[in-house]
Amino acid sequence: MTTSNSTPTPAAPRPSSPLRRVLPPLIAAVLVVLLGLGLLRSNGQQEGGPLVGKAAPNFTLTTLDGGTLSLASLKGRPVVLNFWASWCVPCRSEAPLLRELSERQTAGGLAVVGVVFSDKDLKAVRQFVGEYGLAYPSLLDPKLDTAINYGVSGVPETFFVDPQGVVRGYDQGGLTRERLTAGLQTIGVKF
Amino acid sequence: MLLLVLGWALASAPLSPAQEAQAQQIGRTIRCPVCQGLPITESTSDLSHQMMRELRSQVQQGRGADQIIQYFAARYGDTVLLNPPRRGINLLLWLAPLLALLLGGLWLLSYLRRPAGAAAPLPSTPGPDPDDEDPYLRQVRAVSSARKARDA
Repeated sequence: MTTSNSTPTPAAPRPSSPLRRVLPPLIAAVLVVLLGLGLLRSNGQQEGGPLVGKAAPNFTLTTLDGGTLSLASLKGRPVVLNFWASWCVPCRSEAPLLRELSERQTAGGLAVVGVVFSDKDLKAVRQFVGEYGLAYPSLLDPKLDTAINYGVSGVPETFFVDPQGVVRGYDQGGLTRERLTAGLQTIGVKF
Repeated sequence: MLLLVLGWALASAPLSPAQEAQAQQIGRTIRCPVCQGLPITESTSDLSHQMMRELRSQVQQGRGADQIIQYFAARYGDTVLLNPPRRGINLLLWLAPLLALLLGGLWLLSYLRRPAGAAAPLPSTPGPDPDDEDPYLRQVRAVSSARKARDA
């Protein structure tokens, strides 16, 4: 007696196409690259703030000595505008550099201007100025109008304004000699 | 001089309830620049208070929400906006979830419509018996079958 073996042979599994194998890791890789780019873009060290290339907002503020100073009065001179506060640690690190820079100011040439940001302790502000020998005007901005106009979110922030009154460079997080030199180059000043 | 006086008068006059509601509504879309994801309406920082003051002043001057939002975005960049604008790379933020939903839905649909046999795992075909690969076992089997043949 013969028995016929009629069990159907199962179909062989279809070989998966190369695209199906490559697609998931490819999508994952693209997502990782996008995430990396996003993280790099939002890093604190911005190369250019929103104001770069735009006219520097004018201001008229009082100095620590009670005088007044406006940005308009400095037109024709390259200006380094530094927002700082006595409670700000990185401001202490960059203060000697700014003092050194201010010693190179000339009439009609470079002007260094400080704006005190969100610092109500005037005694501490004066002490800071004295401690680092900052021989350039430090302006008071009690209502933060100027800070808001410049989009300042945290000190120190420095704007490099060219003689035509256009913001050409921006630095956030504390100047180093290299970063100061790079910023000054944008307004045609050598350091 | 007249403008200054007018400006001072406007700034010192309180906002109407409707204007205050509008200021609050706009303020809720502006991020406090010195906080973590808080709108300026909720932040207690000096900067946020002053930004709200500026915002109220602009509402009082009759500026629209778009103009005020643009004012802050021009100074702080788009990162100050809690609702990212739907343009440029931000479009990806809005479109990616929709695209993912669409692709996921299509995949699910195709999976559910697949014939039952195709969807079920294929029965595994019996592979070669691993014992057959063992030379010692092969030898034992050969000896055993030789003995059986001799005894028969």
